[in-house]
Amino acid sequence: MAYSEKVIDHYENPRNVGSFSKDDQDVGTGMVGAPACGDVMKLQIKVNDAGIIEDARFKTYGCGSAIASSSLVTEWIKGKTLDQAAGIKNTHIAEELALPPVKIHCSILAEDAIKAAIADYQSKHGQQAAAGAAEAAGDHSTKPRAA
Amino acid sequence: MDPEPNGLVDLEKFRAAIRPDTIVASIMMVNNEIGVIQPIAEMGEICRDKGVIFHCDAVQAAGKVEIDLQTLKVDLLTVTAHKVYGPKGIGALYIRRKPRVRIEAQIHGGGHERGMRSGTLPTHQIVGMGEAFRIAKEEMVSENARIRVLRDRLWNGLKDMEEVHLNGDLEHRIPGNLNISFNFVEGESLIMAIKDVAVSSGSACTSASLEPSFVLRALGLSDELAHSSIRMTIGRFSTEEEIDFTIDLLKNKIAKLRELSPLWEMHKEGVDLSTVQWAAH
Repeated sequence: MAYSEKVIDHYENPRNVGSFSKDDQDVGTGMVGAPACGDVMKLQIKVNDAGIIEDARFKTYGCGSAIASSSLVTEWIKGKTLDQAAGIKNTHIAEELALPPVKIHCSILAEDAIKAAIADYQSKHGQQAAAGAAEAAGDHSTKPRAA
Repeated sequence: MDPEPNGLVDLEKFRAAIRPDTIVASIMMVNNEIGVIQPIAEMGEICRDKGVIFHCDAVQAAGKVEIDLQTLKVDLLTVTAHKVYGPKGIGALYIRRKPRVRIEAQIHGGGHERGMRSGTLPTHQIVGMGEAFRIAKEEMVSENARIRVLRDRLWNGLKDMEEVHLNGDLEHRIPGNLNISFNFVEGESLIMAIKDVAVSSGSACTSASLEPSFVLRALGLSDELAHSSIRMTIGRFSTEEEIDFTIDLLKNKIAKLRELSPLWEMHKEGVDLSTVQWAAH
């Protein structure tokens, strides 16, 4: 397998490896892929009150291209808003890393990981916002409002 | 037919698989991925008993295990030069005379090899193959002993690591083969990490089809153990220094890749991975 220099660089020196605590309110966790496919990515984002991703961590079970794709996205999403991060496309990732056709699916998984992390963060805050609004309105129903 | 979890074919199942209309049984004497050795002598008896032609693929066996065609009831046997340190591009098909096996030519033309296979014979390749086999015959016993010591040294250096699994029977196996799954670390990423050592993996990521090794799947291995497998083989030119170097390198790199792995993290947290709902792609 001929790897591009960038893939090798991310593989040898992966950025932002590690974990945040899943239960922290400002953390969103996305876990995508399956061991049966040989690819599992866990991406975590730490979002500040202004809605900016101020930090990110990843762990990946997968080939060099998968590790590089997830390492790269942790670099790219830092400093972005959730909307901007959600706009990152797998084609950008694949181009940056010069992924061959057989490895494009690794970049797709990385894009999915970003979206999953954002969705997780939003579901934590969607519920919180709905609960807060329900209390303010004196409504003690447990049905959350759509976020 | 499927093997047992240790990679060996069950003789009773083999016997039962032969039907009245079965013409040929074809078995790999030694498997290339896991190196296990099938019970060819017994299978040959079964085939002779049932009037079935018995073909053996001995490509990975010749030069490594004893093959005596006077006693083995094998009708057809294939070998290749390049697995015995001979030149690439030449092999041989042994065809038994007594009892006679008749085969039909597949390649027609100038009638070479008594009409059996047309095409000018590559003399240089034939000599190379002959010499390679001659040397193998002379050195096989001593070479096997030396290689077995090295292989066992490598296995002993690795087997006490956490979550390490040997694929295929250790006893009925050629001396130089090891096929190991290092759980929670994907095979291709490991190959990349140990680039000073030439190995291969049963991981889907290393195949163009993105399918994991069918050999490992046939053993009943889970997909993730198949994806985490590495095949290492030791040969005529391998040294003890290389073995020790490999052990240290593997330990170091497995640790590094496990730090990177969410599956290792979950395992350490006590999560039973078989119960997890994956967001499959």
